[in-house]
Amino acid sequence: MSTASATRPRWRPSAGRQHHAGPLTYVLLGLAALVSLFPLYWNVVAASHTGERVVEAPAPLLPGPHLFDNLAFAWNQVDMGRALVNTTVVAGLVALSTVLFATLAGFAFAKLPFRGRNVLLAVVVATMTVPPQLSVIPLYQIITDLGWADQLQSVVLPSLVAAFGVFFMRQYLVEALPVELVEAARMDGAHSLRIVWHVVFPVARPAMAVLGMLVFVQSWNDFFWPFIALTPDGNPTLQVALAGLGSGNHSVDQAIVLTGALISTVPLLLVFALLGKHIVGGITAGAVKN
Amino acid sequence: MRTNTPRRRHLAALAALAASTALLAGCGSGGGTGSKADGGGTVTLRIGTYGSFGYDNETGAKLYAEYEKLHPNIKIVESNVADGQKYWDTLKLRLTRDSGLADIQAVEVGYIAEATGPTLAGKWADLGKTGGADLGAYLDWKVKQATTADGKVIGLGTDIGPMAICYNKDLFAKAGLPTDRAQVGALWAGSWDKFLETGRTYQAKAPEGTAFHDSASGLFNAVVSSEPIQYANAKGELDYKNSPGVQKAWTVATSAATGGLSAKLRQFDEKGTWNAGFKNNRFATVACPSWMTGIIKDQAGPENQGKWDIAPAPVAGNWGGSFLAVPKSGPHVKEAAELAAWLTAPAQHAKVFAVNGNIPSTKETLSSPAVRDAVLPFFGDAPVGRIYSEAAAGIKAVPISRWDGQVKTFITDNGILDIEQRGTDPAQAWTNVGKLIDDKIQK
Amino acid sequence: MSTPVRGAADGTPLPSAPARAGGPRPSGSGPSTNRPPGPGRRLGRGQRLGLYRWDMKAAPYVFIAPFFLCFAAFGLFPLVYTGWLSLHRVELGGEAQWLGLRNYTALWDSDFFWNALGNTFTIGVISTVPQLLLALGLAHLLNYRMRGRGFLRVAVLAPYATSIAAATLVFAQLFNSDYGLINTVLGWAGFHPVDWESSKWPAQVAISVIVTWRWTGYNALIYLAAMQAVPQDLYEAAALDGASRARQFLSVTIPSIRPTILFTIVVSTIGATQLFGEPMLFGGSLGVSGGSGNQFQTLSLLMYEKGWVTGALGQASAIAWVMLLLLLSVGAVQALLARVRRRRG
Repeated sequence: MSTASATRPRWRPSAGRQHHAGPLTYVLLGLAALVSLFPLYWNVVAASHTGERVVEAPAPLLPGPHLFDNLAFAWNQVDMGRALVNTTVVAGLVALSTVLFATLAGFAFAKLPFRGRNVLLAVVVATMTVPPQLSVIPLYQIITDLGWADQLQSVVLPSLVAAFGVFFMRQYLVEALPVELVEAARMDGAHSLRIVWHVVFPVARPAMAVLGMLVFVQSWNDFFWPFIALTPDGNPTLQVALAGLGSGNHSVDQAIVLTGALISTVPLLLVFALLGKHIVGGITAGAVKN
Repeated sequence: MRTNTPRRRHLAALAALAASTALLAGCGSGGGTGSKADGGGTVTLRIGTYGSFGYDNETGAKLYAEYEKLHPNIKIVESNVADGQKYWDTLKLRLTRDSGLADIQAVEVGYIAEATGPTLAGKWADLGKTGGADLGAYLDWKVKQATTADGKVIGLGTDIGPMAICYNKDLFAKAGLPTDRAQVGALWAGSWDKFLETGRTYQAKAPEGTAFHDSASGLFNAVVSSEPIQYANAKGELDYKNSPGVQKAWTVATSAATGGLSAKLRQFDEKGTWNAGFKNNRFATVACPSWMTGIIKDQAGPENQGKWDIAPAPVAGNWGGSFLAVPKSGPHVKEAAELAAWLTAPAQHAKVFAVNGNIPSTKETLSSPAVRDAVLPFFGDAPVGRIYSEAAAGIKAVPISRWDGQVKTFITDNGILDIEQRGTDPAQAWTNVGKLIDDKIQK
Repeated sequence: MSTPVRGAADGTPLPSAPARAGGPRPSGSGPSTNRPPGPGRRLGRGQRLGLYRWDMKAAPYVFIAPFFLCFAAFGLFPLVYTGWLSLHRVELGGEAQWLGLRNYTALWDSDFFWNALGNTFTIGVISTVPQLLLALGLAHLLNYRMRGRGFLRVAVLAPYATSIAAATLVFAQLFNSDYGLINTVLGWAGFHPVDWESSKWPAQVAISVIVTWRWTGYNALIYLAAMQAVPQDLYEAAALDGASRARQFLSVTIPSIRPTILFTIVVSTIGATQLFGEPMLFGGSLGVSGGSGNQFQTLSLLMYEKGWVTGALGQASAIAWVMLLLLLSVGAVQALLARVRRRRG
């Protein structure tokens, strides 16, 4: 560590250390990919058969002919279009604000000395332990006192910050942000906001991208609280809208339920297929932008 | 300290981000909560339901369209949630905060005692006074169930669940039992023990892989619902331990479970194993409240038309049924109460019955020719109207407590099903159920 | 490592800072250098120093303020409120009655609480430990240079994009004892069908499989990000010492990404303690009670059953606080161990 200097980053893009993979690596990774993707494939299979076929032994392995019937049925049973827009808005705002505030706080906890730092960090970690199922009751009281039931801010505001995100950014910046960079900027007389903008953000960018993606996904899939704060016919998110799917006459059509699961998953998988490579690629290119 | 344009733009972007978040918080989406009158004086009424009520304009009796035609200033929106328990849990939370409620909320009979109980009674409009419903038109016990301690009627009856037994004629024939519905009914008329006896006869010659009854829990529910004392004593306090009805049902159900008479399935299991059992011929009988016939029809499928038939239950009983209630805090209580009264009036009950098969809870409709003479083609033209209205005539008001639905779930899901699926000894299972109820229910 | 900055925070001026603030700067001293000179406010030297000190002192608090303000409203209030509820007998919408610690002593005496605690622990162990080990191995493999790397990385992350609900619904079908694919495959291999739901251990294993499936790729990605940030010099030094690649993984990679490993351990321990959606949906209609014999009821499910299904909010709150205290004590033990190790090392 003593060789590190402020003018030359200790990091180099780590491509140099990357060895070529042997055949065993390919086999193992192929297996991992198969295990990861098979349940998703089978979701498509289940969504393309009738509900009766899905619960018959032996379970189907190949897609059937009913995918579009099931999709049309599910799409008409609930207002999916509105739910899709709402979910995108909510997840986008939650991801943006979580990343912004988490980076600021994570930077402070990682690199800035201040009184009470350790205690406050412990508090941040402790807040992650509060079981979300129970905070629902006081949360609902807050939301209704503010008159926000069934409005999107009732699911956005409680998620504007995440202790998890602060902890995530802090852990990343402890390692990735050389204190020399911060010091050098200070020597230059940069004030703190400028340091954040010109030093912290560039270094944190890969982690911010990852955190943003993780928070977006989590918010997209969040069900428990939105189901209470929103109503399926008012202003639902996707997961809330799906609660009204597949039912009727005291029986549940498994094919329709799984079609709903598919509808809610596919947009995210598309985003992953398009941006996932980009994000992972950003990390691969190296943690520090010169 | 320098500022220059590019940096200022960055900061401006940050500020804009923060502001847009705040902006969203401030203006939000506006829509959705409660109902509101727009400029033209139109009133939108929202109705919250679960399961299938048969009112809607798509697959139901198109009652909303009809009412909107009669009242051009009214617009009706139904919001339906699949899972009844989820529906009620959320409704309770909303009721306590007077927020996020629909103008009309459906309530299942399993929760009606909780809805009329001390913590929630004050949240509902008195439909005896508002909305102009004719309370005399409903079955007396149905009105009584929805009446609070201080005499308010908070719910108007939709359907009821008079009970019969549905049986698979093919399987009965293969096991050497009669298949004619009068003869089948005679096998067990008057006693659940005779029903078990028939089960043992069936099982002796049962076709491979089939059982006499679908689920011992279903049998438990059927027996309990035919008893005058169920989970509550005459004062309406939970007293399942000393209830002759619960004891009787437990004995019948556990002897079916340990005697191998049940297919060990859980009714309405979300994974659909029970539903699939109709098509796969897993069982020969099902306790059959009126709303069950539609399920059998859907699950067994058209290829099994005429395979199932319906016979009277050993003892008449009522299993299930719902109410429409109007939260007091809504902006259009009067209009909502009028709509609830209209939806549950005899004429509308008849229309819903014709489309959805729900047995009505109004006396006049029950005895009307449209209901009494109804037959179900799927069940070999079984005279369901006569069977169910006769069963309905035998139903007496039963004291109910706030905990009935919960205790029933513990006994069936954690007691009887544990005996069936995990081989727990019945005495041990009863002890477990007692412990569970003592642990979970704060009286 | 932060000594110079701390000196500044204590009020010691950084000698060169004011002198250099206005003048031209040597290039290459940091990312914030190549700015064109622009119109700026002119401040006096003393004024600027004061501002600077104020900035150093206040900045950390300003940066953490948004988090703590939001947290106070939507995190701390629920926490405190829950604590208050746990000391009362209270039903939703009803009046609260003071009970003192009776909800807590009732838990101590309850078989169901201990059962749920045990289940939470066992499911937690069999889902977290394999998950993190697999993720570490996966990250290591993904770090190789290879064909189709981008695809593989996205593929292993795909389960994370699946909601708990969607994943569990699919797995519940695959694990179904009667018609599920997993029993079919086991049958091909000559095994008897397994009762994945009503038998205790198979049910807990099945739930752990769902958790592991969803989170392994995510953790691998986090590890991968950390591995990429390990300084190259360390590997070069190790290679010079003759360390094999496996040796390098154990003695360079693992120690270097220790904060990240700690992060994933903390997050997955918390996740395991709060495990809710997977057992609930896996159990289908019996989900809340964790199977007919409570064989996979976790603490969160027990809390939900008490608070929401039977309406005993006070007892449910007591369970929530027990969970909180459990996690805090786990954290305290961990911190203590780390301190001991550091002192020894």
